Amino acid sequence: MVLGLLALGCVDREGPSDEAPASAPAVARLSVFAVNEPLRYLAARIGGDAVEVSLPVPPGLDPASWSPDADAVVDLQQADLVLLNGAGYEPWLARVSLPVRRLVDTSAGFADRLIARREGVVHQHGPDGEHSHRGTAFTTWLDPRLAREQARAVAAAFTAARPTAAAAFAERLDAVASDLEALDARLARAAARLEGEPLIFSHPVYAYLERRYGLDGRSLHWEPDEPPGAAGWAALDAILAEHPARLLIWEETPLADSVARLEARGLRSVVFSPGANRAASGESWLEVMQANAERLESVRSGSASSASLEPSR
Amino acid sequence: MTGPLYLAWRHLALHRAKTAILVTSIALIVFLPLGLERLVDQSAAQLTERAAATPLLVGARGSALELVLSALYFESDPPRPVGWAELERVAASGLADALPLHVRFRARGHPIVGTTLEYLDFRRLRVARGRRMAVLGECVVGARAARALGVGPGDAVLSSPESVFDLAGVYPLRMRVAGVLAPSFGPDDDAIFVDVKTAWVIEGLGHGHQDLARPEAEAGVLRREGERIVANASVVEFNEITPDNIDSFHFHGDLSSHPVHAVIALPRDEKSRVLLMGRYESPGEAMQILRPVRVMDELLDTVLTIRGYVIAAIATVALATLATAALVFLLSLRLRRREVETLHKIGASRGSVAVLLASEVLFVLVAGAVAAGGLTLAVGRFGSAAIRTFLLS
Repeated sequence: MVLGLLALGCVDREGPSDEAPASAPAVARLSVFAVNEPLRYLAARIGGDAVEVSLPVPPGLDPASWSPDADAVVDLQQADLVLLNGAGYEPWLARVSLPVRRLVDTSAGFADRLIARREGVVHQHGPDGEHSHRGTAFTTWLDPRLAREQARAVAAAFTAARPTAAAAFAERLDAVASDLEALDARLARAAARLEGEPLIFSHPVYAYLERRYGLDGRSLHWEPDEPPGAAGWAALDAILAEHPARLLIWEETPLADSVARLEARGLRSVVFSPGANRAASGESWLEVMQANAERLESVRSGSASSASLEPSR
Repeated sequence: MTGPLYLAWRHLALHRAKTAILVTSIALIVFLPLGLERLVDQSAAQLTERAAATPLLVGARGSALELVLSALYFESDPPRPVGWAELERVAASGLADALPLHVRFRARGHPIVGTTLEYLDFRRLRVARGRRMAVLGECVVGARAARALGVGPGDAVLSSPESVFDLAGVYPLRMRVAGVLAPSFGPDDDAIFVDVKTAWVIEGLGHGHQDLARPEAEAGVLRREGERIVANASVVEFNEITPDNIDSFHFHGDLSSHPVHAVIALPRDEKSRVLLMGRYESPGEAMQILRPVRVMDELLDTVLTIRGYVIAAIATVALATLATAALVFLLSLRLRRREVETLHKIGASRGSVAVLLASEVLFVLVAGAVAAGGLTLAVGRFGSAAIRTFLLS
């Protein structure tokens, strides 16, 4: 027992170095990764020159379906901060090793206002009972008030990491918050012009937009660049039977044939891009959202022709 | 005066065997208590050093020593696990950062330590080859463990089943070695570090399997009821996490109940430490929070008491040995009576003869003391490593 205990403590005299980590230069920029374009945009505006923000998701890919490989995780490990959307947006977090203290869940502050997703497969195998992969609606930024709270979380994380730049972060946060309030007001006006008109969404990603502006929508699972197919049209007809919508909102510009067939059914098409990744047009996320608002504003309740379909991403 | 010294030296050189025995005896009786004390002090200091570097430990109520030995040295049986909620409780207090430790599993005798990357920073563990673990199923191997297992970056380590007779128990997970740590000269060198989520996969709390909605899994599906799929046990579950199947891995159940065996709490300051400890003082508290250094001090007090008895015994033996050595010298004087008479006849004074004989004794004592000093220094430099090498291996 005594020898064992002695051996436990027996180590060579040359222990790990007590060398202090090299102090970072006072002007070193914060290295930040954001998991989607809205957060990248907010972080870049709030951080200014003090922050270098990267979006690791390749262009054209929906960040919600992105999963980092080992090399990407190593890059994330090097960052000072990793800005997460939260709300189940990053299922890959359960499969990677990242420094917990550098992760910033920007939606943690409104966890009680997240929307549970109803869809998802439940399965059972083995003795552990059934389980499902259902989750939470995650496009929180489509409610500009929630986006503003996410911006505040970003600013708080920056301030904790660089207290000396707190005043600059706060000033820029005010400007961002002001822009988001203006966007919120504009979207609210556009939604009010719909006068409670029933809507259909091409994908179930508009939960926060629906809730914020009291939209009455049902969701399909249609891809803008793919024909809906017989099953897709049948699903639409089933919805229309009980939800007489005159407007279908797409994530991206749909196929012309789909638009024509929808118009034949009396449905107009309009694009409302979530702006989750960088816009191909080079517009900023705020500009994408303003363009969305503009297209909604152009919709006239009862109008027969399709609204603007120019893509915003 | 150099004459008697020269004659003493020549006498000792002539009787080499006797001189060597005397010098060795004296060296050993001086060295044993000094060396043992040095060794114990050194080991105690290093035990205390690791404990002192670990400010607070949170775990299930029970043996404090077991908790410390398993969390700091990965040596004891794992203590009763606590839920992940205990880590969140520490973190949510705002008083300390929290590091999880999951120490249930082993791979060919080496502890698999489930933790977070912050643990490697906390212990200043540097990666010598490869990189840190990045994705589920990867591990970082301590320097000694890598040598013993013969693995390097890109190789694989298989977790050991807990019991060969428990067919329904946890089954081995093949873990990819992402990196090998530089030697830290402590218990971390023998460990295999994984993300705590990988430890949960070994435990069966997370798994990857065929997509039950896909046609190739149809054979394993018992029935489909709308969005509910019930499968039988033939559904293929993966025992290795690869880039191809990693996206199928997921965890079930409440994260807050997933097990860890200890939580290292790193208080922000002294006040935070006191406040945090105070939160675990209520009578009905199911957790214990302790300062590892206190636990180790108590343990070492016991060890040091034993050391006192051992040193007292050695000192008694030393006195007996010295008395025997004195007797040897006195008896040798009798045997050398004719030699002394001859010295007197050729003109040596009584003083010169006394100096001659005293010099011989002095030579032997000094040589014995020098040898003992050398051995004690050697113990200080190599003793602990020697014990680890020869006693543990």
